[in-house]
Amino acid sequence: MKNVTLPKGGLWCLLLLLWSMAGAYAQGTTVTGKITDASGVGLPGVTVLLKGTSVGTATDVGGNYSLAVPNPATGVLLFSFVGYKAQEAAIGGRSTVGAALAPDTEALGEVVVVGYGTQRRQDVTGAISSIKAEDIRTQGSNTVQKSLQGRVAGVQIESAGGDPGSGVRILVRGAGSLNNNNPLYIVDGVQVDNINNLNPTDIASLDILKDASAAAIYGSRAANGVVLITTKSGKKGENRIDVGGYVGAQQIAHKIKVLNASEWAGVSNAAHDNAGLPRLDIAKNPETLGAGTDWQKEIYRVAPMQNYTAAASGGGDNFTYSLSGAYLDQQGIVKQTDYNRWNLRLKTDFTKGRFRVGETVILTKEYWRGMAGGWGGQGGNPVGSALKMIPVYGVYAPDAVGGYAGAYGPVVNVANPVAQLNLEKPETNSTAAIINAFAEVSLFKGLKYRFNVGYTNTFGAYNDYTSPYALGDLKGQNALFNNADADLFQNRSQMNYFLQEHTLNYGTVVGKHSINALAGYTYQNTKYEILSGSKSGMPTGIQQLDAGITNIASGGNAYQSALLSYLGRLVYSYDDRYVITGTFRRDGSSRFGPAYKYGNFPSIALAWNVANEQFFKSALGVVSNFKLRASYGILGNQEINDYRYIPLIASNTNYVIGQDQHLWSGAIQTTFSTPNIKWETSKTVDVGTDLGFFDNKLNLTLDYFVRQNSDVLLQVPIPLTTGASGSPPYVNAGQITNKGIEAGLAYNHKVGDFTYQVTGTFTAIANNVDFLGTGTQQIFGGQPTHHGASATVTEAGGPIGAFYLIRTDGIFNSQDEVNAHSQDGKLIQPSAKPGDVRFVDANGDGQIDQNDRQYCGSPTPKFTYGFGTNAAWKNFDLSLFFQGTQGNKIYNGAREDLEGMNLEFNYSPATLNAWTPDNHTNFPRAVINDPNLNSQTSDRFLESGSYLRLRTLQLGYTLSKNLLTSAKISSCRIYLSFDNLFTITKYTGFNPDLGRYNAGSPGGGILDRGVDFPHVAYPLARNSLLGVQLSF
Amino acid sequence: MKSALYIACLALSLAACTKNLDQVSPNSVVQTNFWKTDADFMSGLAATYKVFHDVNNGYFGVRGIETTNGRGDDFVIRNDVKDLYQLATFTNNATTGVPGSLFTGFYTAIFRANQIIENAPLSSLPDASKQQYIAEAQFLRGLNYYYLAMNFGSVPIITKVPVERTDYFASQSPETAVWAQAVSDLQAAAAGLPAAYPAAMVGRATKGAALGFLGKAYVYQKNWAEAEKAFKQLALPSGVAQSPFTYALMPKFEDNFVKTGDNNAESLFEIQNQNVGGSQPWAGENANEALGVTTAQEFAPTEVAGWFEVSPTDKVFNEFQREKAVGDSLDPRMYASLVWDYPGATYYNRPFTDFKLVFGYKSMVRKYQNWREANEGIYISEINEKVLRYADILLLYAETLTMQGRPAEAYPLINRVRARAKLTALAAGFDASQMMAELRHQRMLEFFREGQRFYDLKRWGLLEQEIKNSDKVGKEFFTARNAYFPIPQGELNTNPNIKQNPGW
Repeated sequence: MKNVTLPKGGLWCLLLLLWSMAGAYAQGTTVTGKITDASGVGLPGVTVLLKGTSVGTATDVGGNYSLAVPNPATGVLLFSFVGYKAQEAAIGGRSTVGAALAPDTEALGEVVVVGYGTQRRQDVTGAISSIKAEDIRTQGSNTVQKSLQGRVAGVQIESAGGDPGSGVRILVRGAGSLNNNNPLYIVDGVQVDNINNLNPTDIASLDILKDASAAAIYGSRAANGVVLITTKSGKKGENRIDVGGYVGAQQIAHKIKVLNASEWAGVSNAAHDNAGLPRLDIAKNPETLGAGTDWQKEIYRVAPMQNYTAAASGGGDNFTYSLSGAYLDQQGIVKQTDYNRWNLRLKTDFTKGRFRVGETVILTKEYWRGMAGGWGGQGGNPVGSALKMIPVYGVYAPDAVGGYAGAYGPVVNVANPVAQLNLEKPETNSTAAIINAFAEVSLFKGLKYRFNVGYTNTFGAYNDYTSPYALGDLKGQNALFNNADADLFQNRSQMNYFLQEHTLNYGTVVGKHSINALAGYTYQNTKYEILSGSKSGMPTGIQQLDAGITNIASGGNAYQSALLSYLGRLVYSYDDRYVITGTFRRDGSSRFGPAYKYGNFPSIALAWNVANEQFFKSALGVVSNFKLRASYGILGNQEINDYRYIPLIASNTNYVIGQDQHLWSGAIQTTFSTPNIKWETSKTVDVGTDLGFFDNKLNLTLDYFVRQNSDVLLQVPIPLTTGASGSPPYVNAGQITNKGIEAGLAYNHKVGDFTYQVTGTFTAIANNVDFLGTGTQQIFGGQPTHHGASATVTEAGGPIGAFYLIRTDGIFNSQDEVNAHSQDGKLIQPSAKPGDVRFVDANGDGQIDQNDRQYCGSPTPKFTYGFGTNAAWKNFDLSLFFQGTQGNKIYNGAREDLEGMNLEFNYSPATLNAWTPDNHTNFPRAVINDPNLNSQTSDRFLESGSYLRLRTLQLGYTLSKNLLTSAKISSCRIYLSFDNLFTITKYTGFNPDLGRYNAGSPGGGILDRGVDFPHVAYPLARNSLLGVQLSF
Repeated sequence: MKSALYIACLALSLAACTKNLDQVSPNSVVQTNFWKTDADFMSGLAATYKVFHDVNNGYFGVRGIETTNGRGDDFVIRNDVKDLYQLATFTNNATTGVPGSLFTGFYTAIFRANQIIENAPLSSLPDASKQQYIAEAQFLRGLNYYYLAMNFGSVPIITKVPVERTDYFASQSPETAVWAQAVSDLQAAAAGLPAAYPAAMVGRATKGAALGFLGKAYVYQKNWAEAEKAFKQLALPSGVAQSPFTYALMPKFEDNFVKTGDNNAESLFEIQNQNVGGSQPWAGENANEALGVTTAQEFAPTEVAGWFEVSPTDKVFNEFQREKAVGDSLDPRMYASLVWDYPGATYYNRPFTDFKLVFGYKSMVRKYQNWREANEGIYISEINEKVLRYADILLLYAETLTMQGRPAEAYPLINRVRARAKLTALAAGFDASQMMAELRHQRMLEFFREGQRFYDLKRWGLLEQEIKNSDKVGKEFFTARNAYFPIPQGELNTNPNIKQNPGW
């Protein structure tokens, strides 16, 4: 032992010391019992806590609990539940301790999961929102996050539309970075990339660490908040089986109106006449064309979905287990699209003497059938193409290669969306394993050492097969889209994440002093690799690369990163009145150069339980809980690409050489590096209060925060003349501040058989870029159409991704008005004619260009909110939940296309009201070629994004016990549930709840947020479900 | 003791972890390990040449071809890609995209050439190899400055690789200095490059290419005496190539614009286009990049699934018919350049009557189109862009002599071009201005769709006159400032040391 060199002496000597002292400790035991109300009916969800510690659990539906207690002789259990008086019971060596709770308690005593442990709610000093399983009416949502929308104060959740299996954008306290804004997800101790693939009914609780104090234990990865997910555990002495299932139907919530064939031809002819160009052949004789093809009708459907879950759980004196499986199949409202998922989860916990071991294993298999992208045309995916495809064209052409018709003639190349859906088959199969195992040993009283190993593995297989086609007239002639040979592209990617953690946890109570201390070391390593290949020319029916003969390509790359950390936390509480928490984490990251690898992330927080003060007792009749909290801390963000601090040689900058013109492989430095980049840091000040009124029937949580992200890692654009402006080096160059208030409210009441709960959340966040790069730095984003100019600018003084647009000022009604719009005798819009749009020359330089863009609004809502109620009367229950945003803008890219009349595709009904010399309207004239650029990106197409949506409506009925006993069923509930029944909004696109989350672009596309680009859209669905939940 | 053992193992495992914080990319070579071998420099050269045909930033990529041709009095562009429409109708401004891309492309190539020029002397390669790589890189750098001077005028001259961040912010030099930089690079290239390469190396810059561009650079500066010196090294007064060069006009004009005519006897320098590499012409610089161009697909008519972005004007259509060829036929260059409704006209293997003239003009483009195929296939054209043809050398040589008051000496040169076009020999006795008129006419026909018309008019001082005197859409918006592109907004936004061009 003497020969061993300890790398970080202090910690390991301490560990050693504690280890050797551990022998003195006596064995613990498990206490079980049933908690009932005054009439003897079991109370579910009662918090059971070993007084003075963080050891705790909650009762199951029958009111039973089971808790491992280290000090059965001296320990005192504390039982608490909303609406009931807390009660204490000395264990006194017993193995069964029951209690009957009297209604109307004083204070709430629930347990909150914090990083690397749990805390009593009253000891919590940071801003943490907790969601329990029963709060999530997940039955209608395929992913966990969607069901959280509007339920957590301070957390903005935006869906990316109705694509089954799609992700969402989650912003905890606003967007603070121009890189990754995703929170850190920890599932049973293991970091995961996203939680889309979890089975919602597997989740026991979800705790969101919002401020720096709460999140600081996660250091450099926590700047965007931390979402801790705890999956369900078994309960001692209660072996049970739960099964559930639902079937449902989804349909598109809102279509965008476009012209029918004859209407379109009329507008097209007017646009050509006004431009002095010949009319299109296909638009001749509008009156004979009729309605034509309704392309949206052709691609949407009422789509079925079904979900089945089964779970077995329970436990004995020294172990618990929980085993669950689930299957979800959700077809998409766009034909052919499909998603299905298999889940299997096992979680056990085993205690033997001073040792405790346990694990969580979550296995997931997912399948996506997506839809084609753009096929090189200007319609985008089938959703975008269905809007722009001219209704004159037909769907099918049996004699054509591929069997589908398409656009032909001098029109924009928009692909037949039905052909896109049927002829290209993009499929992803993904399997994921999340494994966490721990061993815990109680070294002596109050001190535990825990060794945790985590491993995740995600394997993805993507296959994209495209059939040959010729989309043209009925004979397949004049086709704008041709694909002579079948194409197949495949890739296989694998990500491995490995974690090892060593933590020591010490808790003690001495008189009125309570101390909880944590120290730890963690190491994690992430590896990613991908391999791809593609070929064309497979014979019909063969979808394997071996059969391909042309266009042979292959590729692959790999990335690896490591993070090494030391962490510590000290929580000191005095007399349940004053709590102070200090947290520290030191992270070392492989993403930065030698001098900048390590960063320190400290935080401090205070809480004062005012209600526990003597002087406050008189107020307790009305105010039953009153806590003040304040915290300050520093967090980090290191989510940039690997290897950015070393200059690299880019390969495949290829050319052609030789009389035979063969490939000349090129390689050269194409970008600059920055050796001195370091972490983004995020400093958050948070003050908050938790209030309870009328014996905690009414609870209110309020927080105010200022979150300042500095040293924002940013690719500050560098001059084009450097020759490396395409991918500028990262520098720590910006500062972004989010200020906000968030409030959560809950009211519980019971009148006879009628119980109800009303909840509400409110979040207002102001986002501001304080400075960026070189001061006048602008970052452009938000492309709204195929060739359109960017719609958003991020620059100092405004919010991230703000809309900066050329402003419009009505229509020129006469040549005089055109002439009057001049400067120094020169026309500002020389191409304008009466009926064209008047643009505002904001910089007064006598011309309209991109330098005339002005601030027109923000994609960040002024506030977001959610409210709802859960009510029960006898055997019936009802749940209603509304959610919405206020004050945000959306750039409607669909309108820029459909109202432009500058190109040959379908138009919006608004064009029927276009300006003519005889009918002066506020809608510009129809003119193909659009010399005045009426259709350019401008504030014409910016709309209010505010909305209020009935997110969920659920009605349930629980069958009476008597009926079920004979069938040996302990409970049975049947329910009917609706998602997105209606949305109140002025927004005219598919859906105002528009994440446009793009994993491939910087910050997940944070600069595109609020820009509705139909080429990549998938409209939101309205769901109706019928389900049943059974317990045995 | 058991726990001690455990802790020892733990300690060792933790120490190993610390090393893992030093991660090196498994995907790329680190810059400090590069620029050692011939292969490194050859790779660097490929990366420098290739910028010219980059899909977005390449002067000879699709947007470059559309822009250089689209502003001439011989082309119109429709309003599909707004930037191109604005450029072609002279309603563009500093924020219009394409010139910014081309500007980026020029400086990308310059940055890459500078890497070669700086690193070659530091390597331990033989002197001859170093000289070759430096001369080739100087050719490329000089050619990029040449196009910068033509298009943007006064721009920064950068001849070093930036070291510090402060080096990113260069200041402008006057247009004359930019030309001088182009000239000095091309002179160095002409001195250091070989006259020809073995077959496997065809396509790289030659001495002839450097001399040709050197001569053209002088022509643009109206330095006729120096231009004559350069052209003299390429051609004899008779128009026959000067030894050691073997340049000659291809017997048939159209042989220059078909796939089989790549790297032919008439060619001094070409941009190599071939469907090798990856399969995606829009992929950008990576393994997926297909190394052909999509220009022909953009110009092809909709009836063959083309994107019909451009149309020739009737001005050029009529200009082709001004002088009949022998036997009262039309100039064969017209058939090679355009297609219109003449008896037996075919286009993409179909009668021309199958096609609709949607722009209201009389003809469509044949030159550089794969119009003998059924359509443009997978959109990737393999026809090389003939950037510098011997016909250009002959006509410029003739112009150089004419401008020095020696029109008589221009005859043998221009008559070679006329003869190939089945035109009779030029009548004797032209004075300088008559000869210039003939040269202007010939250049308009000879170089249609070769990106020269706009710049010829510019150096002749005829831009405004000829554009206004045409049937080009947007001609009324042309003003003198359109002779140059504005400095792109992307540069103004990022570089405090730069000023906008006059008039913009």
